[in-house]
Amino acid sequence: MDAILEARNVEKQYEDFSLSGVSLEVRRGSITGLFGPNGAGKTTLIKILAHQVPARAGAVRVFGLSYGDGEREIKNRIGYVAQDPPFYVDKTVQWTARFVAPYFAHWDGAHFYGLLEEFRVNPLKKVRHLSGGQKKLLSLALALSHGAELLILDEPTAGLDVVYRRALLDRLRTFVADGERSVIVASHVTDGLDEIAEDVCILQDGRIVMHEDKDGLMSKWKWIHFRDGALAPAVVGRLSNLRRQPFGDSGLTEDFPALREALARALSAGDAKVENAKLEDIMVSLIKGA
Amino acid sequence: MTQEASLFIALSPSNPDPMYKQVTDQIKDAIAIGDLKPNDRLPSVRELSEALKVSAITIKRAYFDLETEGYILTRAGLGSFVAEVSRDALRSRKLDELRAEMTRIVRTAARFGITREDIVALTREIEEQ
Repeated sequence: MDAILEARNVEKQYEDFSLSGVSLEVRRGSITGLFGPNGAGKTTLIKILAHQVPARAGAVRVFGLSYGDGEREIKNRIGYVAQDPPFYVDKTVQWTARFVAPYFAHWDGAHFYGLLEEFRVNPLKKVRHLSGGQKKLLSLALALSHGAELLILDEPTAGLDVVYRRALLDRLRTFVADGERSVIVASHVTDGLDEIAEDVCILQDGRIVMHEDKDGLMSKWKWIHFRDGALAPAVVGRLSNLRRQPFGDSGLTEDFPALREALARALSAGDAKVENAKLEDIMVSLIKGA
Repeated sequence: MTQEASLFIALSPSNPDPMYKQVTDQIKDAIAIGDLKPNDRLPSVRELSEALKVSAITIKRAYFDLETEGYILTRAGLGSFVAEVSRDALRSRKLDELRAEMTRIVRTAARFGITREDIVALTREIEEQ
């Protein structure tokens, strides 16, 4: 396993919330989507991975280095976008770039201003006068302008309209296209990031309840629609989220290959149909079941 | 068994056909295979839209098309009923669909050098299962 980022048994304790024993890996050249309901701990985990807050226990290694002895090098090589990026709001966009540039070994001003133009963010504007979406785009432009090899993003699509969201998704896809650079991004499942993530990590109540590659996940989780009485009770018993309707029943399986043979007859007779599950279905099912 | 119990309709959001067309196609199939027989009463627009979780407009559009094509009759205040459709008409509709599928199969076979004999053997194998 060629992991660019590795977290082992990360723990964090707040008064009313804790991350417990979180382990995950981000593969080189991949986009990992970190999903979960509100309050699951996505932002806390992202902050720990980007070394914005310390973990109480556990280890985080990025590019094979620990923050303990490689913080400066790691921060040069990652691009971080916070959920609510902390800017000096009375300063201009241009000032902000001049302020952060010296912190990076490979700052590329031309690239930065090119991105601002693409994102239609006016460099002369004060940050205070940018919309929520524009602040996200500014933060993203900063993260993309110092030769980062890993992006750590917290809800980067929040506040973006569909056009910029599409532009962001395309940028992320291009970013990992060389097979070397990687992305880990915390997000909601319905905003398009679920489409581009190759690895899916679902967090609930401070624990990882699923961490798998999406192709594998999608080949296993399927909706089965079937005519009443077309499937043996033993088969129906292996489905979850059963919905009985007057014109056909449906249920969710998390292991379609294991059911394929039992379904073969009903499928070929047209008495059952298979439909791909959405990541949203999987998430809701896991969370209800927990 | 009530007639509704034997009607099986499953809509797929990933199917490129629009929802109303998926409904009309599946009702035509149900008529063709005998799940719905002439004079059987179709579920009301409301019943079907609630069960399939689509809007009443989608089902109305489907019923309108079915009626225009002569598959069903709507009687004011009574509901919609399956019309007397000739078996030949149903058969020729399915034959058209099969022609489209067979065209794809025959062309694919040709591209990969699979012969007519191979396809016949395959058909036989499937029938024997």
